[in-house]
Amino acid sequence: MKRKLLVALFTLVMTLSITATAFAHGAKIEYTINVAVEIRAAYDTDKPMAGGQVIVYAPDDPSTPWLEGICDDKGRFTFTPDPAIPGTWDVQVRQAGHGDIIHIPIGEDIIMTGGTGYTPLQIGLMGASVVWGFVGTALFFSRRKS
Amino acid sequence: MHIPDGILPAAVCVAGYASTGAATWYSLRKIDQKENPQAGVPKASLLTAAFFVASWIHIPVPPSSVHLVLNGLLGAVLGYYAFPAILIGLFFQAVMFQHGGLTTLGVNATVMGIPALLAYAIFRLRNFLGRKYDHQGRPYRVLTGIFGFLAGASGIGLAALIAFTILVTTIPANIDVDAEQASITALTLAHVPLMFIEGVFTVLVVLFIQRVKPELLEEN
Repeated sequence: MKRKLLVALFTLVMTLSITATAFAHGAKIEYTINVAVEIRAAYDTDKPMAGGQVIVYAPDDPSTPWLEGICDDKGRFTFTPDPAIPGTWDVQVRQAGHGDIIHIPIGEDIIMTGGTGYTPLQIGLMGASVVWGFVGTALFFSRRKS
Repeated sequence: MHIPDGILPAAVCVAGYASTGAATWYSLRKIDQKENPQAGVPKASLLTAAFFVASWIHIPVPPSSVHLVLNGLLGAVLGYYAFPAILIGLFFQAVMFQHGGLTTLGVNATVMGIPALLAYAIFRLRNFLGRKYDHQGRPYRVLTGIFGFLAGASGIGLAALIAFTILVTTIPANIDVDAEQASITALTLAHVPLMFIEGVFTVLVVLFIQRVKPELLEEN
């Protein structure tokens, strides 16, 4: 009886080890999340900056380009920053002496969307205040001398 | 035309501020020599507002679009007030709308202001050519019109040429130089129709001023 049990146990262990060997041919997946950044460059008129030249600067070396590229027809450009270099990534787009720089925080204080520029209402209000300043100056200097 | 921050090397920005400083000093000295230096401030202030707003008026010139600058008009109408007016207008455009930039303020003022002074010189040439008044004693409109056009067109034309030279000679090596050169050239050529538009606009404005308030143009 004892012997029978031993044989049974032995068979079980063998079966298990064979199965284990079979599982060694399975696949294994690990994951890390990489954030891809898509930028869209356009002129004030909202015309996309098609073919604009993009230069990406990493936070650890803001003077040497980390990546260079070209915007597509819709002024878009996508890149994946290295997660090992957290900080503020600077992306410059230029075309024909026009262009802008955007600062994108990557890492713990990541901000999912952002941009440079103002809404039409803000622009209208700021423009009107400045124009009123000029008109006021003109009125002040053309006042009647008492 | 409005060169933003981060495009030009530091040495060019410093040189721009130096030439702007010199031109501002020269203009203010000339203004101070006038009998009443404050007399021109109201019209200078109003035209600064026009200059400030003009850069929002975009004119499509395929494949790109350009905007009004009006530096030739300011030169013709304001004379020596034009350079400080343009400097102040550019300052507000840079601070409020990032149109241009603070590091490049000197360069931009030079690019647009020096041609304005040249436009003033051209506009004044009309006083040395031909008759000043017609047989009824009114100012002669044809000469004012012709030289108004020349002043308006040459102001923007020369500004585009200076901007082209500065941009083409300072393209950084780490970008595609040929592509950048081609797009700068295309943008500069788009200013040729703008020369015509600004010339005509200047003619309309100076003829209007001559009709309703000719004393504004007298000393110019």
